[in-house]
Amino acid sequence: MILKSINIKNFRSYYNENLFELSDGLTLIIGGNGDGKTTFFEALEWLFNTSTEDIKESNISAKRKSELEIGENEEVLVSVKFEHNGEKEIEKSFTFERVSADKVQCRDFNFIGYEISGSERLSRKGRNFLEEYFDAAIRKYCLFKGESTLNVFDNPTALKKLVDTFSGVKQFDDLVELTTDFERKSLSAVTKEMSNDKKCKLKANELNSRITAVSSEIHNLKKDIKTQDAAIHSYAAKLEILERNQEASEQYQDIKNRIKTLSDKRSKMRSYTVVDYNAMLLDDNWILRSFPQILNEYQHKAAAISKEKRKLDKQETERRAQEKGEQEVLIKIQKLANDAVPMPWNLPDKETMEDMLKDKVCKVCGREAPEGSEAYEFMRDKLNEYLRHIQESTKSDTKKENKPLFSNSFIEELHNRQIKMSGEDEQRITRIATDIADQLSFIQERKNDLIKIEKELQEAEDEKSRLLIQSSGLTEDMLDKDFNDIKGYFEQQKRAEIRVSDLTRKLEHKIAEKKELDEEYTKLEPENISVKMYQRVHTALLEIMKAFINAKEKNVSEFLRLLEDNANVYLGKLNENDFHGVIRLKKTAEGSARIELYSADGSYVHNPSDSQKTTMYMSVLFAISDITTLKREQDYPLLFDAPTSNMGGFKENSFYNVIDKINKQCIIVTKDLLVEDKTTGICSLDDNQINQLTCSVYRISKAANFSKTGLSTIQTTTKKIK
Amino acid sequence: MAAESLYDIWAKRNPEWEVRYEDNILRTFCDYGKGNTSMREDRAKLFGAGYEVYIVAFFIGLYYNQRKPLTTDNQKRKGFGWAIENWGDIERRAGRKPYPKLREYIFTALIAKTDIDFIALDKGEITVRKTVDMLIQTMEEYANWGFNFIADKMIDNPNYFYSETAFLEVFLSFNVADVINDEDEPETLD
Repeated sequence: MILKSINIKNFRSYYNENLFELSDGLTLIIGGNGDGKTTFFEALEWLFNTSTEDIKESNISAKRKSELEIGENEEVLVSVKFEHNGEKEIEKSFTFERVSADKVQCRDFNFIGYEISGSERLSRKGRNFLEEYFDAAIRKYCLFKGESTLNVFDNPTALKKLVDTFSGVKQFDDLVELTTDFERKSLSAVTKEMSNDKKCKLKANELNSRITAVSSEIHNLKKDIKTQDAAIHSYAAKLEILERNQEASEQYQDIKNRIKTLSDKRSKMRSYTVVDYNAMLLDDNWILRSFPQILNEYQHKAAAISKEKRKLDKQETERRAQEKGEQEVLIKIQKLANDAVPMPWNLPDKETMEDMLKDKVCKVCGREAPEGSEAYEFMRDKLNEYLRHIQESTKSDTKKENKPLFSNSFIEELHNRQIKMSGEDEQRITRIATDIADQLSFIQERKNDLIKIEKELQEAEDEKSRLLIQSSGLTEDMLDKDFNDIKGYFEQQKRAEIRVSDLTRKLEHKIAEKKELDEEYTKLEPENISVKMYQRVHTALLEIMKAFINAKEKNVSEFLRLLEDNANVYLGKLNENDFHGVIRLKKTAEGSARIELYSADGSYVHNPSDSQKTTMYMSVLFAISDITTLKREQDYPLLFDAPTSNMGGFKENSFYNVIDKINKQCIIVTKDLLVEDKTTGICSLDDNQINQLTCSVYRISKAANFSKTGLSTIQTTTKKIK
Repeated sequence: MAAESLYDIWAKRNPEWEVRYEDNILRTFCDYGKGNTSMREDRAKLFGAGYEVYIVAFFIGLYYNQRKPLTTDNQKRKGFGWAIENWGDIERRAGRKPYPKLREYIFTALIAKTDIDFIALDKGEITVRKTVDMLIQTMEEYANWGFNFIADKMIDNPNYFYSETAFLEVFLSFNVADVINDEDEPETLD
């Protein structure tokens, strides 16, 4: 069976018809994540599924569906043309119709095979057709999704199925069963006759009961060994997962710590950037940013009216003094040079002036004022005037006739406020504009930091997701697990191994013991001739049974050797310039087989690398395919979905070069051979690499201009590269 | 007995505002009109007590140096029932701090901007009451213009002031011209 072409129409992301023409050798279908690789594979799985009439709406192209008007219909179809003793085609389809704005109805499921001869197309039921040309047993060894499915011996009945399907061993089964039955019947006849034979009766009965006992012991030992074997295996599997992911776990812890540090930093930065500007306007007086001008206005005004008032007050006092002829008063009034307006009487205050007189220094101008000097006298007069004012204000009520010019002192209040508001207060207000600018630029810087941190955090989260995707089958919990577990598993595995070797030794003893008993039994010389006859017949039938069992075993072993030899040829090719070891296919106690890797010196390779495993399993698959070809006189294609995701880039390249040259039809869906532009993140084909290959290459990709949230905008486009 | 200061008399007053700003500004941006108990619940409000947005409106009018007389219809005017002397003393909302000093700056602004004959006041020729009335009138007119400014912005975009820096930006738009030091020569002490 050679696939010629695959047509996928309106199946999920495949919009309208998409035709893939396949070469007899390797066909590569290359696409990035989300480009429709797995959908391609699943379309084939859907076609080859003979068990259900699956017309799920979820398989319809969302884009095509969204275009349908009410009453319009369209079909989902996947078909494959192939060569198998003539041209054939298998096709599965169903119709979908829009019945309302939000409802689509699926109907008319069709599954048909066509035998094509010339222009004639003979149609047949799809299921029967498929079972004839590409039956389930073959399909099992042809379609592989991901690398986890590559190990075909990964279930207990795999070997038997494989042997039954592809070797001639199955016919031995009936013969083994038949001869075993003969042996059992003749043995029971012998036993019966022996127990009646006078001469051997006692000895025979004794041997018989011993044989029964030993047989039962052997049976139990075998059961125990099987249990312990299974335990060893399960510990080995657990250890393998843990060991394989030790590195991933360390990486995970590292990322986790980084995320924590970044999150802490982020909350700190957030606390800096979440600012209630409206509250700041009031609480931090930011609203006073432009106030200095107003304050300046106030200060001018207050100073001017204060000066005006003092001027008027002085004039009034002078007038009164003149009027009353109180020269004394006039003398006491401080006379300032050029007749300037004096300071308010209350400035400087009483304590300051007393202080200056005591120290004999004018603390306003800084000059000394020795007792008796003009300056000293001036200060003393000023203090006296202050005291007179205080006295007068207390007496003012009683001296009504001496009513002052100004009955209120609001101007002094304003002037005092002016003085109070200059100096520190004024400085504070003037600084507000700068404070705001500083604060805003600080916040902006923190916001920039925050953007940076958030980006780093996103990167760390992405790294974590990538790690989880790469460590397939692992959860965060598992990665978070303490690797002390390894120690425990190791110990339990070792204990089970010791137990198995003990049991095996015991089993060998018991088998030997039984053999002796059997021999002794056959050597018994019965008195009765007919018993002797029975005995001989049984001996003959026993030998025949053994011969058939051996023949069967040998056939299976030979089959495995053949498989092994073929697989090793492929293993060598797939790892041309690398260590590849030797594949051994080991029969297990449960009658299945295990694929194991050995080094040339015969030592078992415990932990083959992921790429070694992949090539090992694929070699076995190629070998199986070879044998299939041999037995069925037909070649079958091998289809792989992303088999190499655990390989390193270098390995991948040589891998495709080798597969390209293997004479076998292979269809590989992969994201290898794409190169990513680091700056734009756009993936394009690795032309260098592809030019070295002779195979067909298709590029599948998401059509541009899709919406990140709208499924109906997603469309896989296919392009034949070569 | 020491006479009461002009500031104290002014601070005992309750300036008025036009009722038409109650719903779209006061109740929208402040906890105005709510009981004390429910204050904490509404975190979406930009300000706490009603006088906060009043102060903001006042400073907008002040810096634009624009006044708008209030309607003469007493029915259409309203006060907070919370004298100026208490403004900025307590703020119940978390993270806030008191700002009593701001009252003094408002006062100085009013003195600077109101045309009052202080000589006549100190002589007793005009009453303190009349003087304080004039100060309050200045205050109300600046605030009234400020409210009008805020309301105008909201006509085009009702959510204009819900941007976290919207009010701040109004104040950042004013000049911070260096105060020109054109003061008179400092008074000599000799």
